[in-house]
Amino acid sequence: MSYHRPDALTDALALLAAGSPTILAGGTDLYPATSAQELRGDILDITGIAALRGITDAAGEIRIGAATRWSDLVAADLPDAFDALKLSAREVGSVQIQNAGTLGGNICNASPAADGVPPLLILDAAVELVSAAGHRRLPLAEFITGNRATRLKPGEIVSAVLVPKAATAGRSHFLKLGARKYLVISIAMVAARLEEDAGVIRSAALSIGSCSAVAVRLPAVERALIGQSVADFDIPADLVGQALSPIDDIRADAHYRAEAAVELLTRTIKGVVP
Amino acid sequence: MSKVSMVVGGSESTADVVSMTVNGKAVAKAVEGRTLLVDFLREDLNLTGTHVGCDTSQCGACVVHVNGKSVKSCTMLAAQADGAEVRTIEGMADGADLHPIQKAFNTHHGLQCGFCTPGMIMTAADMIARHGGNLDEATVRAELEGNICRCTGYHNIVKSILAANAEMHGASAAAE
Repeated sequence: MSYHRPDALTDALALLAAGSPTILAGGTDLYPATSAQELRGDILDITGIAALRGITDAAGEIRIGAATRWSDLVAADLPDAFDALKLSAREVGSVQIQNAGTLGGNICNASPAADGVPPLLILDAAVELVSAAGHRRLPLAEFITGNRATRLKPGEIVSAVLVPKAATAGRSHFLKLGARKYLVISIAMVAARLEEDAGVIRSAALSIGSCSAVAVRLPAVERALIGQSVADFDIPADLVGQALSPIDDIRADAHYRAEAAVELLTRTIKGVVP
Repeated sequence: MSKVSMVVGGSESTADVVSMTVNGKAVAKAVEGRTLLVDFLREDLNLTGTHVGCDTSQCGACVVHVNGKSVKSCTMLAAQADGAEVRTIEGMADGADLHPIQKAFNTHHGLQCGFCTPGMIMTAADMIARHGGNLDEATVRAELEGNICRCTGYHNIVKSILAANAEMHGASAAAE
């Protein structure tokens, strides 16, 4: 195999157009996922490309470079609406993983338990894709299509995550349920963003991960919360259940996941407004 | 990185010359692209203080510093550290003088079998550097999330890190 770490995006795109290297964006999932205990094929490491790192605020949106590391996100000065994303960043593995893993890697790895996805869904995030042929963008909710499946085409790299300013109002919170406190893959996780007015919920954005192949938004539950008190609200559990398709696996059975999701949702919303 | 050809397992494969600074010393070696940083350190540089526990980024026995940040060297390719400054447990002591964190682990019995200790100490060094003296027990316990010890029950490890932090930052509140 050959390992490439270009400094320029154009070089990366040329390498990608010429062959089909595996894109590495931190690598914290790549090697553990290699069951043969041996990496096969060429590797294209995109973390050396400065243009893919860092957070910028421009043209009505906040742009997070795909190769931005979790620890950089935690340290970044961002609006309160990003608190859920920062909290999720602290739950990705451990500090050492957060120093290596990237937001773009988390999204493209497309695990149903990807910690970064629910907090980005409540921010109406989109992904920017680049290839030698040009740019395109897709809502994150459309980009991830299933367990380990995305709409990334051959020759494309996710270059950034884009959050529209309109979705950065209010405050947010994130909770993750695992079998233990640290270094754990989620059984369920919830991200919530609320705008409130004198103790009344004016708008809500809610997302649950690890309870379906792809993390989902809960539009029906979001609508049901509008007008309710932030201190005393009622979550329609049936509407939550309808949005989810939890699986039985080694971490939890489907019934437990469904119940846990509703409780976690309640706690997360309470956590938005301390 | 420059390319060289090498024969691996009977078939020819391309290797990269990986250059980095390890514990202040410049090193350059031809390694296969798939070589993990931990294997490069242990097998090519004979720095066997960095351990491999789980091989899947969970246990933390393999923690080293790359450009001043703690990472798990079992899930990083050596080539990813090309051009970087790497520090391992062997780079902590100054000759026969142990680093204050090593001394604190010794004084406070922060180990039993010792397998996790190199990773614990590298994590502790990063933690102490980042928190600049403002380190309390809850923070130490939270930041030890990526390092697993199967002997001590962590109590003396936490004590050792707090004592080292007090020593290094001259903080008045020593660990108890």
